[in-house]
Amino acid sequence: MIEFENVSKVYYLDFAKEKKTALKDATFKIKDGEFVILCGRSGAGKTTILKLISCEEKPTSGRVFFDKKDLTMVKKSDAHLIREKIGFIFQDFKLLPYKTVLENVAYALEAFDYDENKINDEVRQVVELVGLDKKMDCFPRELSGGEQQRVSIARALIHRPEVILADEPTGNLDPYNTRDIIKILLKINEAGSTVILSTHDKEVVNALKKRVITIDEGRIMRDEEEGVYFL
Amino acid sequence: MAKQTKYANKLVRSGWDYLRRQGFLSFATALVIFIAVVLGTTLMISQGAISFMSEKIKDKIDVSVYFNEQVSKDKILEIRERVAQLPEVKNVDFISSEEAYDAFVKNHEGDTYAQSLEAIGGNPFLPSLVIQTKDPLKYETVSDYFRTDEFKDMVYDINDYRRGFAIERLSSLSSGMERLGIILTVFLSLIAIIVTYNTLRLSIYSRKNEIEIMRLVGAKNSFVRGPFMVQGALCGFFAAVLSFVFFLVIFFVFRSGLESIFMGFNPFNYFISNWWLIFLLQIVIGVGLGLISSFFAVRRYLKD
Repeated sequence: MIEFENVSKVYYLDFAKEKKTALKDATFKIKDGEFVILCGRSGAGKTTILKLISCEEKPTSGRVFFDKKDLTMVKKSDAHLIREKIGFIFQDFKLLPYKTVLENVAYALEAFDYDENKINDEVRQVVELVGLDKKMDCFPRELSGGEQQRVSIARALIHRPEVILADEPTGNLDPYNTRDIIKILLKINEAGSTVILSTHDKEVVNALKKRVITIDEGRIMRDEEEGVYFL
Repeated sequence: MAKQTKYANKLVRSGWDYLRRQGFLSFATALVIFIAVVLGTTLMISQGAISFMSEKIKDKIDVSVYFNEQVSKDKILEIRERVAQLPEVKNVDFISSEEAYDAFVKNHEGDTYAQSLEAIGGNPFLPSLVIQTKDPLKYETVSDYFRTDEFKDMVYDINDYRRGFAIERLSSLSSGMERLGIILTVFLSLIAIIVTYNTLRLSIYSRKNEIEIMRLVGAKNSFVRGPFMVQGALCGFFAAVLSFVFFLVIFFVFRSGLESIFMGFNPFNYFISNWWLIFLLQIVIGVGLGLISSFFAVRRYLKD
């Protein structure tokens, strides 16, 4: 269960000596196993919500709870304990450039100190699942955008997280790859993980028929079950 | 224990992979550490050279006590035994008038001094004791010893007044060289540390996005930091090995030239006889700099 309680986030821009409010007084709950779409224009505050859940940022005011744990109290050095329960998928893939496909996916398990004998088998299975079994030893620079995103998904899945945070995962992909990625996310959700998808893709939002939280200039404008694109 | 070994193994493997896959960056880092190790080694060998030269200068500082002709050799040798017992004295040599004559002739063979000696006829040299003190500045204690009433009739001359100034100059030159060595050590070590740290900081800065990804994926600080430190240590190790070979070759090729520059100090022989200590120092400097610099360079991206 994820809960936002009157959360605001203000960024102070040092050089311009001005502040930017990314999120204003946001309150909502996301139940375990839900598929939630955060919908809004670029800069609306979608990524800020994901960063607050992953302990990358702390709220300026209000509180964020993850499994009843107050994330405002979590130190940066302990953030890995929360991130063990989360899988990340990013628009720009964020793969480690000097590691192969296999090593990128295995990294999360190594980081969580999994048994090394199991790591190899599990990683191979997941990489096969996302259709990259022939590219296991390739480096990210040798892959297309769609393939890199599949690696990113494999990495997010490998440790069977409770929550998947997908930050505009189809933003850099063509419609063919977009469809594939969304199908994978739906499968992950069916398998029991909570999926929080941030997007401004109208087609994707309307096709999914899932809960949609619409954000505009940091404010939550609408929160609807089986919502549609509304901006 | 087995778990910790496995964890350490994992970090070392990752560090080795970083080193291989970032060939150019690793090479640049190793090159900078190499310069630092070369500086450190130069300082160590300079210390050896400075103490050798300083000893040599000190050895040249002595007090000569000339005895009257009528004082017998046995008496002078008896005095020599007594002087040798003085706590300030390092060494006492007896030079008979014949030995002094022969040495003069040998040193001035064919020149005008030799001709003057021939013109005088006979041996004008007096027997003497040449005394070296443990501390060159203590020569006055020795000369005062010979100025007591006991020696008044026996001693013809003590040359400390004429040599005093030279002794002080040589002595201050020797301690000046030692001081210079310490100042150089501190100054060059600081430069080496600053340059290595900044190079590693820049190389790790270029990878701050990776560090961020590692943290987002859920890696603990130690798991992020470990491979970077291993990579830094490996760069330092290779830099140390390279600098060992570098000095070996340089000292071997230029051994005769360097010996004449350093007043008889042979850096190649010094290097060979102290090779394990020098190699250990190079490993400590190289690996130490690599480890410490990468630790601090990564730390700034792992802080709260």
